[in-house]
Amino acid sequence: MTIDDAKLMAYADGELAPEERGEVERAVAADPQLRAQLEAHQRMRAQLSDAYADMLEAPVPEQLLAAARGAAPRSGEIVDLSARRAAWPQWSVREWGAMAASLVGGLIIGFGAMNTQPSLIAVTADGMSARGALARALDVQLASDDAGAVRIGLTFRARDGAYCRTFELTDRGTAGIACRDGGGWDVAMTAEQPAQGEIRMASASALFATVDGMIEGEPLDDDAEAQARDAGWPAEER
Amino acid sequence: MVRESDQLRSEIVAMLPRLRRFARALAGQPADADDIVQIAVERALMRLDQFQAGTRLDAWLLTIVRNAWIDETRTRKRRAQVFADAELGERVGAGGEAEAQAKLEAKEVRKAMQSLPEEQREAVALVCVEGLAYREAAAVLGVPIGTLTSRLARGREALQRMLGATP
Repeated sequence: MTIDDAKLMAYADGELAPEERGEVERAVAADPQLRAQLEAHQRMRAQLSDAYADMLEAPVPEQLLAAARGAAPRSGEIVDLSARRAAWPQWSVREWGAMAASLVGGLIIGFGAMNTQPSLIAVTADGMSARGALARALDVQLASDDAGAVRIGLTFRARDGAYCRTFELTDRGTAGIACRDGGGWDVAMTAEQPAQGEIRMASASALFATVDGMIEGEPLDDDAEAQARDAGWPAEER
Repeated sequence: MVRESDQLRSEIVAMLPRLRRFARALAGQPADADDIVQIAVERALMRLDQFQAGTRLDAWLLTIVRNAWIDETRTRKRRAQVFADAELGERVGAGGEAEAQAKLEAKEVRKAMQSLPEEQREAVALVCVEGLAYREAAAVLGVPIGTLTSRLARGREALQRMLGATP
């Protein structure tokens, strides 16, 4: 099975079915050249969304608001930012440099690689679920805490209203994203360091590209993260 | 019925920042982008009854924005080329060096986008900036998916050449 550039592009755009994703991931894990190509696509996507991201934060001219309402503007009226944010997918990787620095590079996304983590990630009828030390760390640990077996990275709100957190299993070279579901944590994806262990920082962007597709708004800052934890990671109604 | 259109109106208001972003990606010039969004929004409001409930409002609005841009370029004749260098006049704002660097990079990317052929630019804008699925982006442009993906591939290739992103 050869993987052409069109397929890599479709992978980066989230257009492949799970079995095709698996194919690409296996091929990319075995071929540094393919991996570099895929990373170039992922970087390009991030660059493009960053290049226009400020338009989402910029105040909308009064004239446009008036046109959209089909009426004369009331003076001083502004659009509620949170209402706006709910309405569009937000893409930004700017905040994530710090996270990238805390992650082991050389990561390859491996949706099917769970079998190496039997005690921390369980496969259930509904997908994958965090267990043991991973579940506990996701419950209570903050990004600023000293990492034991688990290091916590970004915490963010996904578009469906659930809190999600990126994590790294420090002694296994596995990183991933887990999202709050009921009282537990669903593991949305994992990324693994390839066996050869070639460390490359840019590969962490594969993880962030996935976060990019899930995140609503910006990642939580330290205070918001602590507050969300203390509140028990409540989902926001959608 | 009245309630439905009120609901649509407020959703359109909430969508304005995204419409501006897309128009900016198409037109380059911020002022042009707002002109286009204004025209598009006025058209959308006149045709609210044509919006099919249950379909995606954002895709419908992006289609109208894109058509407004096509009409504008037709009447104003290739504005994109006239204004290709307009961004050079933009100031790089105060702030940290990293921020300035990010702004410079964003500017480079926008400039590269402006130099793409229209067909490629709109494909890239819909998929990579707006995050639409191929199927949705193809519907906005009124082309088969294969056409969309080949424009997307050529556009990306050109961008990577210009931005030196080839590893």
